[in-house]
Amino acid sequence: MANVILPSLGESVTEGIVTRWMKQVGDFVERDEPLYEISTDKVDSEMPSPEAGVLLKIVVAEGDTVDVGGVVAVIGESTGAAPAVAAAPANDAPAASAPTSVAKESPAPVGSLASGVVLSPVVRRVLSDGGIDPRTVNGTGPGGSITRRDAESAVLRGPSGEIAVPLSNSQRRMAEHLSVVANATPQGFVAVEVDASLLDLVDALGRETRDGLVITDEAVLSLAAVRAMADFPMLNASFDQEFVVQSLSINPGFIRDVDGAGVVVPVVHAAASLALHAFVRRLHDVDERVATRQLTTDDLMGGTFSIQSAPSTTTVLTVPALLPGQTAVVSFGAARHVPVVQIIDGRPSIVVGRRVVVGVTFDHRVVDAALAAAYCERVGEILQSVAIESER
Amino acid sequence: MASHDCDVVIIGGGPGGYAAALYAAAAGLTVVLVERDKVGGTCLHRGCIPAKEFLETAHVRRTLEHASEFGFRTGTTTSDFAVSQARKNSVVTTMFTGLTGLLKGRKVTVLEGTGRLESDLSVSLTDGADAGSTITAQHVILASGSVPRTIPGFDVDGTLVVTSDEFLDLTSLPERAAVIGGGAIGCEFASMLVDMGSSVTVLESMPSILTGCDKDVVAVVERAFKKRGMEIRTGVTLTGHTPNKKRTATTVHLDGSDDLEVDMIVVSVGRRPRTDDLMSEGTGVEINERGFVVADGYMRTANPRVFAVGDVVAGTPQLAHVGFAEAVVAIKTILGEPVTPVNYERVPWAIYSNPEVAFCGLTEAAAKERGYDVVVKKDPFGGNGRAQIIGDTVGTVKVIAEKRADGTAGQILGVHMAGPWVTEQLGAGYYAVNWEATAEEAAMLIQPHPSLSETFGETLLALAGRGIHVG
Repeated sequence: MANVILPSLGESVTEGIVTRWMKQVGDFVERDEPLYEISTDKVDSEMPSPEAGVLLKIVVAEGDTVDVGGVVAVIGESTGAAPAVAAAPANDAPAASAPTSVAKESPAPVGSLASGVVLSPVVRRVLSDGGIDPRTVNGTGPGGSITRRDAESAVLRGPSGEIAVPLSNSQRRMAEHLSVVANATPQGFVAVEVDASLLDLVDALGRETRDGLVITDEAVLSLAAVRAMADFPMLNASFDQEFVVQSLSINPGFIRDVDGAGVVVPVVHAAASLALHAFVRRLHDVDERVATRQLTTDDLMGGTFSIQSAPSTTTVLTVPALLPGQTAVVSFGAARHVPVVQIIDGRPSIVVGRRVVVGVTFDHRVVDAALAAAYCERVGEILQSVAIESER
Repeated sequence: MASHDCDVVIIGGGPGGYAAALYAAAAGLTVVLVERDKVGGTCLHRGCIPAKEFLETAHVRRTLEHASEFGFRTGTTTSDFAVSQARKNSVVTTMFTGLTGLLKGRKVTVLEGTGRLESDLSVSLTDGADAGSTITAQHVILASGSVPRTIPGFDVDGTLVVTSDEFLDLTSLPERAAVIGGGAIGCEFASMLVDMGSSVTVLESMPSILTGCDKDVVAVVERAFKKRGMEIRTGVTLTGHTPNKKRTATTVHLDGSDDLEVDMIVVSVGRRPRTDDLMSEGTGVEINERGFVVADGYMRTANPRVFAVGDVVAGTPQLAHVGFAEAVVAIKTILGEPVTPVNYERVPWAIYSNPEVAFCGLTEAAAKERGYDVVVKKDPFGGNGRAQIIGDTVGTVKVIAEKRADGTAGQILGVHMAGPWVTEQLGAGYYAVNWEATAEEAAMLIQPHPSLSETFGETLLALAGRGIHVG
């Protein structure tokens, strides 16, 4: 029999919220099989079981917070009772927390009418006569329920066509982090169209690396962004009041949507010296951890700039927001085949070319548009020069 | 001793506790219910059920007394209260057996003993058949209930001075009784005693009996009590009592009022929570200065793994049906299902005296205190056909609505009833208040004819602007 302890999730993380149990009490769990999901202010991760056995007891319920090092569950043989769990395994005995503060985390958040919460017939009729969707009404009754008065004033205000949906944990993190940056940082943006015909060469040679991994457009474009960064230390930096702290290491972070629920930015560390095949492998590895929710805090720390790839195959450009502690986010449109005017035999002619729009959102306190545009041009130059054949 | 592991452990098998157990078990949770005495709690063994059985005994006697009006000659009525007591016990036993079977059928483990919440949130049992057992569970529900409050100078001896606990076990009734406390329980006992032929005096320290009820309802009850020979002394201060030498009777002393010689004193001055030794130090559960457990609308205590329901909860009405409702809220919260907390201002209240009292929502005085302009309509049962038929026309229905800017009646704020079977009639009023109906919305719905509930319907029609029988 053993206590399952919340392991260290990185040096800045002291606690997490258990968001989901994958196993029920009584279920058998293999060693390293995902047991529960933890949400910290950095990342949501699936936590593997430290050993094989039967889940005897869940100590920290879904939605509850636990300190790093706290007991979250007990695993043991299928027979016998759970051991007495050490006192204060979770943050669940705060004598100081009055029930009034507990009530704020009510299961039915104000403003979002959870399915299953009932409307009185009168309230339903008042809202329906007034053409109001009950999900758009903030209830002031017990547990956020909608009173007749709430309904009548909602009808007076008229339909809002808005629904208040509670933020997921990752959205809350994103909102906090990005608003801090947006409020504190004047941002600028430039975009430059560059030649991406190198990708035609990649197509011609085949998309596989020597490891059998797929060479994506993103990998090629990102590698160019990384190499160009070597000449622009001001973009691979962090603004800190009196200083611009330039990083000697180039660590691109990749902005990833997770199931539409939020954004994580896993980092490929020390990318400057990587050949294409190695870069593809490293990117592939972090993406696997994103997909299986096994990102560690280290995966998310140490980014020196970020990359936003084209979210669709027809995207021209995106204007991403700066991330905290960085001076640049590089964005790529889709690398599209477009008509290009070339001078052939002294005459302007239209030929099929491949172009991509490279954008940079930058911290305008320390970077200006000319520098950002020069960086984009440099990305274009490098894109012409990657030795695909030897690097793949 | 045995140790148990389950999803939910509940301390106390009264209405709050057993309802939580049954509801949790119905949702598939494993449940251990700890009870020191018998499941069913105060309500089934020492409260609601036995008290109402006694009141029904008094009702049967009234029916017999009026039988001649219907053409039945029954001779002199004699009474054997030991038989009445036995019938009450048989009703209680039947319900106890049913509840025990229900718990067993749902696979709820019932342990016998006094439960105590330890600092590691396990529950240990002292005394009883399962003493020494320990239960660990994901969630704990405190439902330890309440016991009758007593007052200094009136030590309960079970013969001259009794509380509801002893009163409900009597096999004979006193000729002369003083009921201390004119609240719901006191009025029920006083009403039953006076109907059974006892000479009854109610002693109340407040200016009126039934504090918290609407004044028009109180007036109906007071009039009916006095008409049956009951004496009601309000605003009194008790200083003690002196039993006679044989301890067959006692004299109650009052400050500024005549002494009162009685054969029994029934103390009904409220109930205090049973939280002595309910918990060890360090559980994180907050107990207020009056000994009640502090919980939020979702019945969570200050420790999120510990819930509380029923009489033990601070600031909520001590009513069995409130305990049931709180049990459902607690279990749904544990299950993570959406749930609306109990709206304590709008729970139904029922007092089973003769006449009965039932109400829901704000009294006229409370509504005005909240700053509402109100429209009020009252309809006595005297004009009700069914009331004439059953020969019980004492009572009234009062409905209070918010006054709109144009002077008409808007949302119904309170429904107050006194009279025959009003505890069974309150349902419609309860819906009207909780569904926040306006007078006209409720008035357009029909009551069956002839029925006592027509009085409520007539009051609504009048409130909506124009009555048929009532102005």
